[in-house]
Amino acid sequence: MSDLTAIGLELAVVVTALSVLVLDLWTPPEQKRALGYVAAIAVGVIFVASFAVLIPEPRMAFGGMFRLDELSLYFKRFFLLTALVVLLMSTEIADRIEAGFPEYCALQLFALTGMMLAASAYHFAMVFVALELIAVTFYILTSYQRRRLASLEAGVKYLVLGAVASSFLVYGIALVFGAGGTLDFARLANSSNTGSHRVLELGLLLVFLGLTFKLASVPFQFWAPDVYQGAPTPTVAFLALGSKAAGVALLIRVFYEAAPAIGRGWHGLFAGVSAATMLYGVLCAIPQRNLKRLLGYSSIANGGFVFLGLSTFSAPGLSAVLYFLAAYLFTLGAAFFVLCLVAPTAETADIPALAGLHRRSPLLAAALALSMVSLAGIPPLAGFFGKFLLIKAALERGPSWPAMYALAGLALLAVVISIYYYFGVIRAMYWPGERERGIVRDPEPIVLSGLTRAVLWFCIIGMLWLGIAPDKVLNLAEHAVRALAL
Amino acid sequence: MQDILFYVFAALTLVCGFLVVANPISRSPVTSALFLVLTIVSLSGLFVLLHAFFLAAVQVVVYAGAALVLFLFVIMMLDLRAEERRRITRFGLIGGGLAALAVAWLFRAVPREAALVASGPPHVEGSTSALGALLFTQYLLPFEAISLVLVAGMVGAILLSRKEPS
Repeated sequence: MSDLTAIGLELAVVVTALSVLVLDLWTPPEQKRALGYVAAIAVGVIFVASFAVLIPEPRMAFGGMFRLDELSLYFKRFFLLTALVVLLMSTEIADRIEAGFPEYCALQLFALTGMMLAASAYHFAMVFVALELIAVTFYILTSYQRRRLASLEAGVKYLVLGAVASSFLVYGIALVFGAGGTLDFARLANSSNTGSHRVLELGLLLVFLGLTFKLASVPFQFWAPDVYQGAPTPTVAFLALGSKAAGVALLIRVFYEAAPAIGRGWHGLFAGVSAATMLYGVLCAIPQRNLKRLLGYSSIANGGFVFLGLSTFSAPGLSAVLYFLAAYLFTLGAAFFVLCLVAPTAETADIPALAGLHRRSPLLAAALALSMVSLAGIPPLAGFFGKFLLIKAALERGPSWPAMYALAGLALLAVVISIYYYFGVIRAMYWPGERERGIVRDPEPIVLSGLTRAVLWFCIIGMLWLGIAPDKVLNLAEHAVRALAL
Repeated sequence: MQDILFYVFAALTLVCGFLVVANPISRSPVTSALFLVLTIVSLSGLFVLLHAFFLAAVQVVVYAGAALVLFLFVIMMLDLRAEERRRITRFGLIGGGLAALAVAWLFRAVPREAALVASGPPHVEGSTSALGALLFTQYLLPFEAISLVLVAGMVGAILLSRKEPS
């Protein structure tokens, strides 16, 4: 019985998903949209309920498979809030999703379950199953608008590359089992501290590579721009936030808890991946003309920033990562919500097509502009504080490992470069050039529903709140990191 | 007797595996796929020698039965002539060589460094009842989560393949 209470939040999400699927049978076609609201309300209630979960000390369930601690709870809240925004986003464009809107919501909820399980996984079998649950649902979610060639292309690319990444992961897990004799993180941590073991290291390296796919970081970053451009926008938002954070959670679990000695020995690898990913992301983003594609490259660059925090192997670095993710949630939530409303197809997401958006809808333009400013890392918005904390944590590691100074410098350079293309988007909206002004397609004002306004304001206030008064969320993050022995 | 059988199955696995990727007589993908069936069947023979009867059966039923039929379906949709004309490229040679070297290194490294766990090799449980007991005790949570993967996959397959109500 006690094991069931440990997975209470996940159970609630699964029940919601199945109810949406079943309720679909009795819902007339014109009211399908209401099911999106039902799912969103349920996820909102579960999110609020997650704050009632008190865990004085880490709790293991299901024979050590599942660990409920502050860290997993932080990630679970992050996933729930992400899913809430994404579900509202999908409901907003329900009529554009031809092939079964309720199933679209249910699949998102299944992916959410996978992410929440991944945050608590404490055994490689659980890790694999949770990741497959996320991956399989995203294969479907990316190719959901199957009449559109771009969406299908995105789905196939994601499927093939995802399968390759999964095979890396599974082979790595097999080698870890062969060398370590166990898949359980707690037991692995005991046995892996007894000196170096090359087969175990090779296995963990393959696991690492498999997880970089989730973060869209080097060497598995190629899929991101194409998939971001082609897939339906709510899917992309979920991919950029949820799927990426699930990868971060597992990297922390594997390299901070299951094999801490090997992980710390590999801070060079983490730093190298961070540098390569940041540079690749910002340099390739410069020539982009499509906003969704630009956000794809920006997501790669931000994966690099996450690796910057992970490579410090220190408590401040890790809490900075957690804070950065929270800031990223509000920022990207606003950006993708605006994209959903402004650009129904990938072609209309071209940056020049945004010209004059502030006349069509001041709120949309303001939300997009603020999220771009936040992504660029300008104070006083959330993104600034996230990047500030990450670079600060890297500098703190500098005295013991001077290469961190170089990496922090590189991160600053990446921030400066990124300001250029993020401000290009703002310029296109407010001060379009002569050429861009000519191709504005429909200059009519965009009418926003009350709920849309509420969500946009929620994201804007979140961005400002995290930037101006970061202590509340930072406390949560630091509290979550305390569960790890650092 | 067991030793002889092991060598027979191991040799069969290796020879058939080699013929899957580099068949000197036929370059047809269908032949490769059929040799893959033989590889899998001889692999399942090795599982039987390890007393893992259930795994052996699953190996044949799932891989030889289900996965390969899917392979064949896909192969039938390809242009077989074009596939037969394709030559081994330099990239393929180098990549394959590197992979072979990596596996060779693994085979050298594993026995030398296997002393990490003092408990010895994990006990092989071959019977279905032992496997079922494990699935419903230690591996209960992943086992239940797999059912969600199946549901999601099923919903997706129906959605992506059904006729549009126009």
